[in-house]
Amino acid sequence: MRDFSKNRIIFLFVIVCLTTLLFGGIVEAKTFNFYVVSHGGPGDPFWGVVMKGMKEGAEAITKGTDDTIKAIYSGPAKYSVEELVNMLNSAIATKPDGIAVTITDTAALDAPLRKAIAAGIPVIAINVPDPRPEAERIPYLFYVGGDEYLSGKKAAQRILAVRKPKKAVVTVHEIGHMGLELRAKGFIEVMTANGVPAEKLATYLDPTQAIEILKGYFAKNPDTDAIFSLGSIDSAYVITFLKEQGLDGKVIHGGFDVSEEVVHSIKEGTTLFTISQQQYLQGYLPMQFLYLLNKYKFLPANDVLTGPGFIDASNVKSVEELVMQKFW
Amino acid sequence: MKNKSKFSSSIALLFRYHPEFGALAGLVLVFIIFCFTATRFLSIESIAGIVTVASELGIIAAGVTFLMITGEFDLSVGTTFGFSAMILAITAKAGIPLWIGFLLALSAAFFIGLVNGIITVKYKIPSFITTLGAMMFWRGILLAVTGGFAIRYWGTSSFLYGLNGHFLGELRTSAIWFFAIIFLLNVILVKTPYGNATYATGGNKEAARILGISVDKIKITNFIICAMLAGLAGCIQFARFHSVDPIRGTGMELEAIAAVVVGGTLMNGGYGNLIGTLFGVLLMGMVRSGLIMSGAPAYWYQAFIGIILVLAVIINTKLKGWAIK
Repeated sequence: MRDFSKNRIIFLFVIVCLTTLLFGGIVEAKTFNFYVVSHGGPGDPFWGVVMKGMKEGAEAITKGTDDTIKAIYSGPAKYSVEELVNMLNSAIATKPDGIAVTITDTAALDAPLRKAIAAGIPVIAINVPDPRPEAERIPYLFYVGGDEYLSGKKAAQRILAVRKPKKAVVTVHEIGHMGLELRAKGFIEVMTANGVPAEKLATYLDPTQAIEILKGYFAKNPDTDAIFSLGSIDSAYVITFLKEQGLDGKVIHGGFDVSEEVVHSIKEGTTLFTISQQQYLQGYLPMQFLYLLNKYKFLPANDVLTGPGFIDASNVKSVEELVMQKFW
Repeated sequence: MKNKSKFSSSIALLFRYHPEFGALAGLVLVFIIFCFTATRFLSIESIAGIVTVASELGIIAAGVTFLMITGEFDLSVGTTFGFSAMILAITAKAGIPLWIGFLLALSAAFFIGLVNGIITVKYKIPSFITTLGAMMFWRGILLAVTGGFAIRYWGTSSFLYGLNGHFLGELRTSAIWFFAIIFLLNVILVKTPYGNATYATGGNKEAARILGISVDKIKITNFIICAMLAGLAGCIQFARFHSVDPIRGTGMELEAIAAVVVGGTLMNGGYGNLIGTLFGVLLMGMVRSGLIMSGAPAYWYQAFIGIILVLAVIINTKLKGWAIK
């Protein structure tokens, strides 16, 4: 009889404990829906890394806490402002717990983002900020990304530190992309200020045509001896162009973004450097920040700059493996 | 014919049987203009460059011509171009022999063309819609499978060299493929019963049926030819760069269609040939190179192509109307 009541008490105790744990867990655990809306589609290797950062940032929270993060990435396969706005509007319509968005076109994104912010959706700018003065710009919380204009300037300084070119050219593969235009602007300003004529050249996306465009440009401007390519897609074309024309070593090449091909070219000495925005962080950090904001109301005091970071002969070996694993 | 002089009648006959004549005239005109405006335009490098761009686009455009003469469209050629190149890249990287990867890439293109053809013919929906859907679908698969990353193959081989290597300085073997394909397809089109059936299918479907031509079979076959040539062009481009990104080929379908139309092929079928397409792609390549060598910003290229496209169609339509009168 005594044993029986003792067992019953232990049994009840265990039930009470389990119930508390179980229901306690259910009450506390929450699911948060976050969106990353970007002008870059899943086809651009650069955005593949951001997507990976987003996914792993969300998973880290889901695994490490009782809460669940549902992270959704949307971006047009081909650069299109209209489609970006449509995707943003669709994301806003689901009333998510947070949006990270690239401000590629202030005119087009102003109205929908202000509406979302007024409706209480936390908005973080990633990759491309609103360049207008603080009073005029879209009142997003803060910015996580590189500084495009500064990156362009640094790229020019880096080339000038090696040698003063006779003429420099900037290849643009996505015409009208504000971030690329800012990189080009910073680069051209520093070059011009140092007495080096510099201009933009639209190369588009097809490699065969891009190379002929470059060849045509070099035929017209044979004294060109520095190229700054604004993304990994056009870096690949520029590298092939330099090698096929026997210009590697004669023409300084600086690039933007990291890919297997660019890393290889830095090791070979064809490419002097490539700038990285460390864009993995532009997917990873917004997940963490949006979660911390929703859960504990934390906000960083300032923008978070993830770049410009440089990869050149001095550190290429240490990041090579990470490039293969798609972190860079 | 009565009102025309002997000279203009023979010109009329020329246009009637040679749709390429307009494109050739345009090509000569543009060539002469650029000889004066563009730096080093008349160099072997420059001409070789134009031929190189024209070769890849032209192999696609050759297939598009065949299909357009049958009265159908293929908007998925840009995607097929990228898809086949990606299959070759992935298999090459995995260590599978290149010729097997090449056959797999062409088989994939065959399959895409077959599905396009069957859906268009059996469900009687416009090929514009079928292939628009195919363009999105296969591109989506490509993006999903690669996760957005480019594939780089580091090996070298004579197989890839044969597909697209250097020879005689600036020329590339892609040009040989291109001219061979244009020649072969033109012979098929002009000299064989299959070519006749292709014209008849696009010209007057009912008459073709009455003549005992299997219109559906001809259409499906031409969808397959078109897709396989796009796939071949993708492999040829991969052979030069050894890398493919998942948006490779985007927009090429429109450039190919523009080249075919500039070359004098009618969009509603029944009229056109490969020689016109040859001139069409050369004209487009020449405009691009010439503009840059003239010092015009590369941003202007699309605007010029737009004007040339519309002008070419106006001239071709007028000439054809006049020649048939």
